[in-house]
Amino acid sequence: MKRSKSGPVTVVVVSLYLLIPLLMTLVYSVFSKWSDILPEGFTLKYYWELFSDASFGVSLMRTVLISVMPIILTALVVLLAMYVIILYLPGLEKYIRILCTIPYAIQGVILAVSVLSLYSNAPGILSNRTLLLTGTYCVAILPYMYQGIQSSLLAVNAPRLIEAAQMLGAGRLYAFFRVVVPNILSGVIISAMLSASIIFGDFVIANTLGGNYFETAQIYLYQTLFASGQKTSAVIMVLFLLTLFISLIAFSLKKKERRQG
Amino acid sequence: MKKRKYYLAALIPFLILVTLFEILPLIMVIIRSFMPENAVGLTLAHYAHIFSTRLYQQAVINSVLVSAVSSVIGIAVAYLGAKAVYEGGPLLKHFFKTVLSLTSNFAGIPLAFAYIILLGKVGVLVLWGKMAGISALSDFNLYSIRGLLIVYIYFQIPLATLLMIPSFDAIRREWKESVSIMGGSSFTFWTKVGLPALRPAILGTISVLFANALAAYATAYALLQNNFSLIPIRLSEQFVGDITQHKEFGSALAVVLMVLMVALILINDAILKKGPLLSRSSRKNKEDES
Repeated sequence: MKRSKSGPVTVVVVSLYLLIPLLMTLVYSVFSKWSDILPEGFTLKYYWELFSDASFGVSLMRTVLISVMPIILTALVVLLAMYVIILYLPGLEKYIRILCTIPYAIQGVILAVSVLSLYSNAPGILSNRTLLLTGTYCVAILPYMYQGIQSSLLAVNAPRLIEAAQMLGAGRLYAFFRVVVPNILSGVIISAMLSASIIFGDFVIANTLGGNYFETAQIYLYQTLFASGQKTSAVIMVLFLLTLFISLIAFSLKKKERRQG
Repeated sequence: MKKRKYYLAALIPFLILVTLFEILPLIMVIIRSFMPENAVGLTLAHYAHIFSTRLYQQAVINSVLVSAVSSVIGIAVAYLGAKAVYEGGPLLKHFFKTVLSLTSNFAGIPLAFAYIILLGKVGVLVLWGKMAGISALSDFNLYSIRGLLIVYIYFQIPLATLLMIPSFDAIRREWKESVSIMGGSSFTFWTKVGLPALRPAILGTISVLFANALAAYATAYALLQNNFSLIPIRLSEQFVGDITQHKEFGSALAVVLMVLMVALILINDAILKKGPLLSRSSRKNKEDES
């Protein structure tokens, strides 16, 4: 019976340990000075400074852009591949699975330097940094997108659904993209949100491939790190809230899906 | 007959993407790691250099050490946390899971910065430690392996606990009753039944944590830049930055890191395949939570 008491204590202690650094960053961002026991001078000027800094806005837009493009591309590419696998070549599935799982083992820094060293001196469009960044992010999120799409297809029993649609006179392509895909959309969006939060939080790929060519919000954050502490914490809070917002959407979708299922 | 071939076109975008940004870069890195610098040929010199130079030996040792220690501490905290959730009510579970998912996004540069505020040279806790005369706080050096460990442990805990909580669902309440009917204490239950049943989930989670720490770059870079030897840091500086680039040597470093990661994934798979009890559930959870 002692245990029923120690449980909540553990939860509270661990939660405090986890929340304190986050809360401190928040507090730091809204006070102008913290050189005594308590911070002094409440202010929102760092946020104001941040939002009036055009380069922050631009870097944020770049982050959004570089998240959205790979997610849409990867979703399309995986869906097309799954279309072939489900309808024509089920035997290929295990190879697709392996290809989609490899990025787990070469995540982050390995993938980034591999791509950079292969293409940095390549002729023409292949050395374009935005293209490299997009392609690399596509591969980086591939395991998550594949996992989400594959398990959603399994959950709605795609082959049966297509069969049913065909019996009603629909073509295969129509059955897949107009019947199956709308049914798995919420599952795809959940993986898309997860992927977005991964790209939002990524520094190493952005720094290796984008660097000064394509300054994302994380690069902006890194540069403020050595300039102003308060401004840095303001950038962190903005990015954190954005990521939180993305995860909340995914979470509510997941809940809805579970209720339906 | 002709119509049957059209569908293959739908595979082309996938193949292009995977070939250009996964397979080719991977193959080139492996090949390049065996090539002498600025010359043609075959050599193992880069690997020999990694394992014979103190700087790179240290990187491998530090990486493995930091990953191992942070994983073990992370899993210990996660075990206690998940056990508390298992024994507690739905409200406790909801609260804790919210905190965990909230903080699981707090990693990389933001996390490093938060610790600089807390425990850096003029950090708040250091300040408080000075005022209260607690030397453990006032003399704490964040810019060291101990500091790095503290930060790594932080990002391991939410991930580990989120992976462990669902594994506890597989422990049936009846087992506990059976043990207590036969006169076993709660302690007996956890050591003789609970922990063995959770073993595959615990080992699987450890290997996820280990890989997670091994590949982590941003946290260490924001805290210590290139002043601390870790494989990802040494790897990245061969390709990016002011120092002369050594692509071939860097490729060998990349291969070493890759081999470590793959080894962990294979160990994880072997454990999950072997584990009779929770293998299915823990794998599923990973997919849910990751």
